[in-house]
Amino acid sequence: MEKRVTTISLFMTIMMLSGCLSETIESTIDDGGVIAPEEYSWEDDGELVIVTYDVTGLTDELISEFENISGYEVELMKLDDAGSVLSHLLQYKGNQVADLAIGLDNTYLQTAINNDVLWQHFAEVSNISDKALSAYDGPLAVPFDQGYMCLNYDTEMVDGENLSIPTSLWDLTQEEWRGKVAIPSPETSSPGRAFMTATVDYFANDEDNQTDWTDWWTAMESNDAIITSGWTEAYVTHYTGGYGEYIEGYVGDAHMVVSYCHSPGVESWYNDNWTKSAALDLPRAAFHQIEYASAVEGGNLGAASEFIEYLLSEDVNVKMPTENFMYSVLVGTDLPEEKGYKFHSTVPTQAAEISASEIAENMEAWLEDWNEAMVAA
Amino acid sequence: MKTKLVAYVAVTTYSLLIVIPLLLAVDRLVWVAGFDVTSWISSLDANYISKGVFQFTVMQAVFSSLATLAIGIPIAWQLGRYKWPFQNIIRSLLTMPFVMPSIVAAMGFLHLMGDNALDIRNDSTTWLWVLIIAHAWFNLSLVIRFCEPVLSTLDPSLEEQLRLLPEGRTKFGRFRHLWFPLLIPSIAAAACMTFVFSFTSFALVKWITLGEKTLESMMADIGSSAGIPGYMISKNEVILGSSLIQFTVLLFSLWLMTWLQNRRQSLLPTANEKIVKKNNNAGWLVILPAICFAVIPLATLIVSSFRVTETTVDGSRTYWSTEGWSYAFSATNSLPSGWDALYNSIGYALICLTIALPLGWILAQTISELEGDSPRLARALDVFTMLPFAVSSAMIGLGVMLGMIKINPEFFYSLWLTPVIAHIMITTPFVVRIILPAMRSLDAKYDECGQTLGMSRTKRFFLIKLPMLRGSILIAAIFTIAMSLGEFGASWVVTRNSDWTTLPVMIDSIRAFPYNEPLVPPAANAVSSVLMLIALFLFISSEKFRPKRDGGMF
Amino acid sequence: MLRCIGLSKTFEKNLFDEFDLDLDAGQIVAITGPSGCGKTTLLRCICGLETLDEGHILLDGVDITRMLPEERGIGLIFQRPVLYPHLNVERNLKLGDKQADIPTALAEVGLLGFEKRAVDTLSGGEGQRVALARALLANPSVLLLDEPFSSLDDDLSEKLAKDVRDLLKKRGCPAILVTHNKSIAKLFADVVLSIE
Repeated sequence: MEKRVTTISLFMTIMMLSGCLSETIESTIDDGGVIAPEEYSWEDDGELVIVTYDVTGLTDELISEFENISGYEVELMKLDDAGSVLSHLLQYKGNQVADLAIGLDNTYLQTAINNDVLWQHFAEVSNISDKALSAYDGPLAVPFDQGYMCLNYDTEMVDGENLSIPTSLWDLTQEEWRGKVAIPSPETSSPGRAFMTATVDYFANDEDNQTDWTDWWTAMESNDAIITSGWTEAYVTHYTGGYGEYIEGYVGDAHMVVSYCHSPGVESWYNDNWTKSAALDLPRAAFHQIEYASAVEGGNLGAASEFIEYLLSEDVNVKMPTENFMYSVLVGTDLPEEKGYKFHSTVPTQAAEISASEIAENMEAWLEDWNEAMVAA
Repeated sequence: MKTKLVAYVAVTTYSLLIVIPLLLAVDRLVWVAGFDVTSWISSLDANYISKGVFQFTVMQAVFSSLATLAIGIPIAWQLGRYKWPFQNIIRSLLTMPFVMPSIVAAMGFLHLMGDNALDIRNDSTTWLWVLIIAHAWFNLSLVIRFCEPVLSTLDPSLEEQLRLLPEGRTKFGRFRHLWFPLLIPSIAAAACMTFVFSFTSFALVKWITLGEKTLESMMADIGSSAGIPGYMISKNEVILGSSLIQFTVLLFSLWLMTWLQNRRQSLLPTANEKIVKKNNNAGWLVILPAICFAVIPLATLIVSSFRVTETTVDGSRTYWSTEGWSYAFSATNSLPSGWDALYNSIGYALICLTIALPLGWILAQTISELEGDSPRLARALDVFTMLPFAVSSAMIGLGVMLGMIKINPEFFYSLWLTPVIAHIMITTPFVVRIILPAMRSLDAKYDECGQTLGMSRTKRFFLIKLPMLRGSILIAAIFTIAMSLGEFGASWVVTRNSDWTTLPVMIDSIRAFPYNEPLVPPAANAVSSVLMLIALFLFISSEKFRPKRDGGMF
Repeated sequence: MLRCIGLSKTFEKNLFDEFDLDLDAGQIVAITGPSGCGKTTLLRCICGLETLDEGHILLDGVDITRMLPEERGIGLIFQRPVLYPHLNVERNLKLGDKQADIPTALAEVGLLGFEKRAVDTLSGGEGQRVALARALLANPSVLLLDEPFSSLDDDLSEKLAKDVRDLLKKRGCPAILVTHNKSIAKLFADVVLSIE
């Protein structure tokens, strides 16, 4: 009986919501079924537990300022990456210990929504750019930063003499690139997932109809591509164009790495307008990644909403480029000009065009295909 | 009657603490992946993340064992056969690496390879050697502990007699007919243990290995996404398959180890060390480099904690500074202060001690009492208490985590004590292993004599048994604290609440900080130095209480 | 005062069967027999360290067969002296009686001034004397002696046997000695029983 009542109310909410949404931009991530906030029941224990990964933007100043303004006590639960955040929410389904999830991106969000682990927030947020809302514009998640994933290369090595600048992803499967490309695994890292998603689109739209994206991955694996479990290992340990070389345990065997298109800008911002790293702008080889903040089911919805509002406030969100090394999601914002941040950052001429619903529908299958392609090598 | 009750309670507690979490973990994984052992095993090769991992794990463990023997046997020989000034200090220095938390070893070797030290760097051609040598460094103590007593106390008349016989006229002949057969069980037992420790090594693999994984590190990697119905099902199969394989391999190695050790205990005619040992100045050629080998990775750690490398436009500049220390010991939201981690580590270690030590004692007592009446049951319990050795720490962490979720996530998440469960699971078997041999070797007459003097059970316990086993108890206690302080694998999987951060977890998190913070390496090395100094202090204390002849593997 | 009725014990072989013994107050009995005939086990059964298959032991009319050894009030001197290595002579003696007058006790066994000695510095004979003093401090109803003189030289063992006998007689403490040495048995006991 009870179940049926919920189903009916769910159905009604969907109807209501779809009505609302049709007036705004069409959302491509499916809301599943959103329960209206009035039906939620939660306890305000004065605490806000945020499950996240190393989102550098959540600085001490930012957290303590929020604590001062709101009176909530904030506790950060830091996991390894966005994938772990999702896994955590799924594992604790129905018994969540976190109130707010920060860092699910548009390759993970749909799975969280499908599994009913998120709640609709009631934060009042405005001024978010259409671009940031392009993948999801519902009440279950609010974008708070964004950026493009793409290949970065070390200009000192990839100079046309030692190594030629690739004009196609296939170039990376050539002998000269053997063992010189570091890619975080899509199975354990969100940048890896994002890049894999871009390759799906890239090879679906190339001139060659004989091969598809999985063939490229097989070829990459045969060409000794360095697959790492996370972004840090790829960028810091292997990549020669980044700051890793000043860090113990640095290897420096990769002259090409998957990172953000604006990573060279970050390098430059740190090094007083100098970097030897550059983004490789190949059409459809970049992925527009959007990161979200979401209230967790059964959590302290009041506190979560308040934090979302705070995170999206003008003062906080415009600082994303320098505090979190990502683009802000607010209208009219951009990377700062100083120290060559903006100059060295690349906005891809054409990012992968792959809709969020496509991602949601196929991600699991793509990962399986990817796995098979890699094992086949 | 009372005794039996205590024993039942202990066995039950042990089962609840150790078996239940593991069962919960397995149950949940099976629930997600389905019960199909063949598909668990075949999933290892069908998944990119686990393909070749077993082969690599075995390969590096075998090479690590061989390297440990190659380095350890000459050292044990020199130490055992000849007289050395400050013999005890030399032995302590050489066996100390074994009590060092593996994350400390990882940081030490990471620094040693870096461009501020040997500048071998950690590249694709050298890392495997670095890993193997780090494992040899870590396990050197096993070879010394197993072989040295045999060498140092064997009655010299055995060799003297052989010299007068045709077969024993040459050194090689004597080695072949006397030393080799006598040492082989000890060498094999040491190799076995080294294999087990290298097979399950986690922190060293995590930080030194490039591109390859061991079963342990691979399980830790995917453990966080396990146990979710309908999500990444193949990963659950991989975890089940790997655990099964790891369990089998380790159980076999442990069984082999026990069997070898029993053979080793066959009585050899012994003589006083003072008679056996002679001087050998050439031996310094082995002993001095060995001491350097043991000490340098740790010494560099302290030095490097005061070295900050700053990157500027013109390159990098390294200078002396205490900034790393202050960075590590001041709290931020993303990282608790080193003080908090220290407080947690010590707190967990002490609480773990108060549970694991009595529990291990009672289990050991139960086993040794059963050995008279029902040797089979005693044997079964003996193996049962060794089980956690054969289970990966990732699995233990997963067990605790899934157990929490199953029973009451909110409660366990807010409970500061939760990580202690994993520590108890890991340390209790060590307590049993240390105390049981001591109990076995304690002559029953001491207790009987107390009985005929009219002393009650309690009185005999406090006046006779406890003080007579004091040495082993102290070693067990110190080991429990050291193991708990250094525990990393399980904590890494369990630690979700930042209030639980321990020193090893903190070292790992600092080291994994993204972006170019120049204080990251010195801060990580500063925390490592603290952990190392505590371990060192514990080790020195335990050396004082070590039984003279054969202190066992610990 | 001590009555053993029909004691039987089998362990791998039949050690003793239907063994009867009556010990009067102050009486010293010696039991002789070859090694391995079960003498030691008999003593261990009487003081309760091992359980009997059959039979009863009465002490002053009370059946003590099922009592714990520490509750029986029967002392035992082992073949080799059992002294606790973690305690010195004085503290070993205090295990027998916390309030004991140690110098007197030591004087009785001829070891005056040995209070602070570490037990591993004692000779075999000295060790047995300490063990004896300690057993007597516990004030046993009966003292059992399991070949306590066998590990000593002949001269020394005779001397010690005599000293111990005198001491036991002086205190009126009944005792049972088992030994394979018939001459020591004669020297030591009022009655000598022989089992084979």
